[in-house]
Amino acid sequence: MQDLTPVEREMVVPASPEEVWPAVTEAEEISAWFGAEVEIDARPGGRGTARWADGTERPLLVEDVEPARRLAFRWLPFQRSGEGEVVSVPSSRVEIELDAVPEGTRIRIVERPAFGPAPFRVRHVGEALAMAGA
Amino acid sequence: MKRDRADAVFAALADPTRREVIRALSMRGPSTATGLAASLPVTRQAVTKHLGALADAGLVTATRRGRERLYQISPQPLTVAVSWMADVGARWDERLAALRDHVVRSRRGR
Repeated sequence: MQDLTPVEREMVVPASPEEVWPAVTEAEEISAWFGAEVEIDARPGGRGTARWADGTERPLLVEDVEPARRLAFRWLPFQRSGEGEVVSVPSSRVEIELDAVPEGTRIRIVERPAFGPAPFRVRHVGEALAMAGA
Repeated sequence: MKRDRADAVFAALADPTRREVIRALSMRGPSTATGLAASLPVTRQAVTKHLGALADAGLVTATRRGRERLYQISPQPLTVAVSWMADVGARWDERLAALRDHVVRSRRGR
C-alpha cells in the first residue's frame, strides 16, 4: 500500500537556487510551467490566483517565504468554475524547497491537505463573494 | 469530490499513527485492537482511540466478535484520499517536467 496523504516530489535542475527562485515566485515565470496563468504576491500573507485554460480560477494565500530557499502557500478551500460558479474544494498546503546540490538545485515539492484554523478563515466568505463578482 | 467527506477523511489521515493503523489493517486484514497493538509501537488503548477516529471518518468499520470488536478497512473513503493523491501527484509530475524545461531554457537565453 502506498503512503497516504502528503504528495512529495523531488527533482534536480542544472541551475543555482538563486536562478531557480524567480521561476517559482514570479508570476510570469510560474505561468510558463505551472499549467495555469498565475498571479502571486510572494510575500507572507500575499494573495494569488491561478487561472486554468478552462476558466477555472483558484485563489491561494502565501504563508512562508525564505528567498532562494523556501516558498509555502495554501490553496484556499473554494474555486470558481469557468461558468462562474463558486464551489468548495479541499484546501491544501504546498511547500516548495530549494537546496543547493553539486548538480545545481534540488527542488522538493510537498502538497498536503490542510486542516484546522487557517489564517484566511475570517476573510474567506468575503473572498468567495469577491471571486463570484458580488 | 464531496468536500465534507474528503475533509473528514484527510483529517483522520493527518495523524501518522492513524496512517500506521490503516497500513497495519491493510496488511493483516480484519483485526482486533489487541491484534493491531501487537504489531504497532502503541498501546491497545491508543489503537482503540485511533480506530474510533478512523471509524468516525468512515475509514474503518467494526463488527463485534466476542468481547472485542473486529475492525476492517472500508475502501471507499480511502479511494477518495488515494485519488486526491494520484491527481495532485500527476499534476506535479507534469509541472516539474515543465519547470525543468523552463529553467534550462532560461539559462540558455541568458
